[in-house]
This record gives sequence, C-alpha cells and structure tokens, in this order.
Amino acid sequence: MTIRRRLTLWYAGILILSLLVIGVGTYQEISEQLRHSHRREPTAHALNETGEMVFRVGLPAVVLGLLGGWWLTRRALAPVAKLTEVVEKIHERNLREPLIRTGNGDELDRLTEVFNAMTARLDDSFNRIREFTLHASHELKTPLTVLCGEAETELRDESLTPAQHERATSQLDEFHRLARIVDGLTLLAKADAGQITLAVEPIRLDELVRDNFADAQILAEPHSVKVEWVNCEEISVLGDRHRLRQLLLNLADNAIKYNQPQGQVTMNLRRVDEFAEFSIANSGAGIPPEILPRVFERFFRGDGAHGSAVDGCGLGLSIAQWIVSAHGGTIQIASTVSRMTTVTVRLPLGAEPKPA
Amino acid sequence: MRVLVVEDEKKTASFVRKALQTEGFAVDMMANGEDALLAAASTPFDAIVLDIMLPGRDGLSVLRQLRERKNTTPVLLLSARGEVNERVEGLNCGADDYLPKPFELAELIARVRALTRRGGENKPIVVRLADLTLDTVTRKAQRGGTEIELTAREYRLLEFLMRSAGRLCGRMMILEKVWDYDFDPGTNLVDVYVRRLREKIDADFEPKLLHTVRGSGYVLKEAP
Repeated sequence: MTIRRRLTLWYAGILILSLLVIGVGTYQEISEQLRHSHRREPTAHALNETGEMVFRVGLPAVVLGLLGGWWLTRRALAPVAKLTEVVEKIHERNLREPLIRTGNGDELDRLTEVFNAMTARLDDSFNRIREFTLHASHELKTPLTVLCGEAETELRDESLTPAQHERATSQLDEFHRLARIVDGLTLLAKADAGQITLAVEPIRLDELVRDNFADAQILAEPHSVKVEWVNCEEISVLGDRHRLRQLLLNLADNAIKYNQPQGQVTMNLRRVDEFAEFSIANSGAGIPPEILPRVFERFFRGDGAHGSAVDGCGLGLSIAQWIVSAHGGTIQIASTVSRMTTVTVRLPLGAEPKPA
Repeated sequence: MRVLVVEDEKKTASFVRKALQTEGFAVDMMANGEDALLAAASTPFDAIVLDIMLPGRDGLSVLRQLRERKNTTPVLLLSARGEVNERVEGLNCGADDYLPKPFELAELIARVRALTRRGGENKPIVVRLADLTLDTVTRKAQRGGTEIELTAREYRLLEFLMRSAGRLCGRMMILEKVWDYDFDPGTNLVDVYVRRLREKIDADFEPKLLHTVRGSGYVLKEAP
C-alpha cells in the first residue's frame, strides 16, 4: 500500500471519528434542550434531528475533507515521487552528478542534500578502489620486469644443468602468466577510470573475422577441435582495430579452450537490423544456468574450470565485455549444458565506406 | 654499436645492460632525464633505450627535447604503464619503437638491434636467403626451385622473417608486425605458425633456415 493511500485512509478514519463525536455531542445537546422544553418524546425526536444534521452538514464536510486530504497528500508527496524518479537513474558512473535541490530549505530539500553527500562519499570510495587497482597493477610491473629479466638472464647461462634450466623456464612461464594478469587488470582499471580512448576508424569487420578464423583454426588443431563458419558478410563498423582483434581472439580462444576433443567451433557474422552480429558457438561442456550471469565477472571461474587444465588469466570475458560496451555494443552468452555455448556480440554498424 | 640506457630502477638497468653487453653493444647508463640529455648531446649513440617513468624530467619530455634539438638517434621507449594511448603518444613524440613493461629481454635486444640497423633500408622486391626466395609482388615462395604454397598469414610471417634475416625476432615483435596485435594474446599462436612454416620451408631441405632462439624468439639465417 502506498503512503498516500495509507494516509488518506487514516485521515478518513479520523474524520469519521470526529463526525461520530460531533453526532454524539449534538444528540446530547438537543435532547437536553428538549427535556427543558418538556416535550413528550425527546429521545426519538432528538435522534431524528441529529441524524438530519449529520447527514446534511457532516457528511458533505467529510467527503470534502477526504477529497482535500487526498489532494494534500498527493501534493506533499509529489517531490518524493520526483526524487524517486531521479534517484532511479543513478548508477556507478554518474555518482558525481548531484540531484537538483529545490533550495527552499524544506524537509525534502534537506533529504536531497543528505543524499547528494552520500553519493559523493560513495563516488569517492569507488574512485579509491579504482585508483587502488590501477596503482597496484602499475606497482606490480616494476618487480615483474625485474623477475622476468633475471629469469631470462639465468636461462642464457650455458652452464645450467637440464634440471635447473627446466626450473628456470617454468618460473619464467609463471612470471609471464602473472604479467598477463597484471596487464589485464591494468587495462580494466584504466577502462573503469575512463582513461582509455579508442582509436576509432572505419573497420571492415569481416576482414578481422576472417583473420581471426584462420588463427582459430591453427589454435584449435592441437585440441582436435574443428572451426567452421556459417556466414561472413561484408560489414563495416566504426571501431578500434586492435581492441576488436583482441575481442575476437579472446572469444575464439575461449571457445577452443572450453571445448572438448573432436568438438566444434562455429562462427557467424551477419547484419541484423542496425547491427553487425558476430556469434561464436562451441560444443563444450556448457555452463550451468546458475553461473551463466556471472561469467563476465572479473576472475570468475565456474567450478569446472577451477583446477582444470584450462590456462587463462580469468579476465578474458571481462575484457571482451568492456571492449564491446566501449564500442556501444552488447554481448550475450547462452548455454545449454553438455551441448552448446554461444556468445553473441552486436556492434552498431558504421558508416558505409564511400565508393572511390 | 653504442647504446644509451636511461632507467632509474637499478635492477632493471643492471640486467638490461648485461644483456645488451652480451650481445656486443657498448652500453652507457643514465638514471635520470637531465643526465641523459647531456650524454646524448655529447656522444653520438646508435640507439637510446628510454624509460618513461624517470625522476624529475620524464622520458617523454626527454624525447621531445631530443627531437627539438634535431637529434635523430633512434629511441626505444620503455613503459610500465603499457597502454595503447601511451604508445601512440610516445610514437607521436618521435619515438621509433615502444615496449611495455614487463618485457622479454630477447624482445628488447631484438628491437634495439632493429633500431640500430634502421635507415638506408631498401626493400627489394624479391627477397633471398640461401636457396629460399620470396617474391613480394606475386607473393610466391620457392625453395630449391620448388614452389611452396603459403596461406596469407604464413606469407606475412615469412616476409617479416626474411626481411629481418639474421636478426632475432621476439614473439611480441612478430605479433605486432605480422598479426597487427598490440597486446599479448596469451596464446602460442606464433609458435604454432612458425612450426607450420618450418614444415613447409625447412622439412625437406638443407640447410635448416628457421631457428628457435631458446625461450624467446626466432631467427631466419643460414648458419645455425
């Protein structure tokens, strides 16, 4: 029940109660007067007269009061409704934009003020987290450079025994993995802080997809996975070449890694309304519906992937999601367990390249 | 070949120097921008390895100053920030190459070597190495008179390797030039392609031309 309805009901109750009080009072007054004038049937007469008064004056007053009350609560709550509407539009990115205050110093104005202060504090903590991640990833790079460099220097030492050599190689591999994670983190932290500008230009998406298809075939070979395509229409979009390549490779790499031997990967690029739609399907084990919405989260891995042989930095899909949204597109994932997982990316179509 | 390395982080500076010296470069070290500018003004270097994050005057400012003074020494920028915008900014300031930290030593050496050989580079239409020829117009490769079928990507890889024949090519460098990637894809794409290319150009022929340099890259040359 809304506050408005509740208040009106209370108000109606109070009005009816006061009507009763007035009725009882009037009745006593009238019967007293009648008793003084020695009339015979004071009770019945008094009742009649009271009833008439209540009906003729009291009821219209109550109805008027109710309507007035309804209107008043509506008027009083209107700013709240407006506030709700504005607050609904608040999200993580626009916390800095304050709600507009009426400035008349009333309770709601004060509420707005307090609310603005709260969002400002929230914004500060969001920023601090972002900055922390950014600084952390920068700070990690210097020691990582030293570690990688020293491991490599060690590897160049001809006097190493095979066992030492193997240990140094495995160390170096882990350092490189760590470096990739830190790279991914830096990229996402920078993206969060709005510090990355895309180098946007008209791109023939089909050419990127063809390149990616060739790479995917090569990458899939050791896993005995077959890569095929349904369609590769000629489509241009406005985008950042490097980031789009990264997106496509990320998706292809995932489709291959989370596949099963003798599995299949199918790519499809087509035009759907005002969008270029790229979808990539794999015949892997699938993703259970309860964790499907979480796969774009950073470092999220399904139970199946934990401790399995799949090697990755855990940021691939988060990065893919960022690239897509930075291009004004959408990315979706659908999965049927033990049958098929499909990732669908939609990017807004760019201007057609002008014929020369 | 004389190289100036400008890096304030001692350990990084130390292994970079060691690696470059092992490769036969004479190496001068500087730990801040002002000293680097003085050194560059008094000594003609063949290349400068310049870290962006330096105490006082930062690397980009050093680079701008160098170019304003008409110093055209090839510069390789190093950066811990490693983001696309910075790469573009660096190249706009007049850098010749850019390497994000953490980098592979082999990659660094390969790039410094490429920088010191830049200039006066002419690109012949038909590239040759031993009995392997690559016609860059018809995009056909032949070895010992036998034509070799190449996919588009294999062709680009072979052309890049042949044009840098005798020089070590790091994985990141190959990804950049052949794949047009400016990120580490975290896959063994390069290795797989090199293996396939090797099957085509080396398997049935002697001497072997495409060599793996332990841990860090590939080189195309006659002698092992």
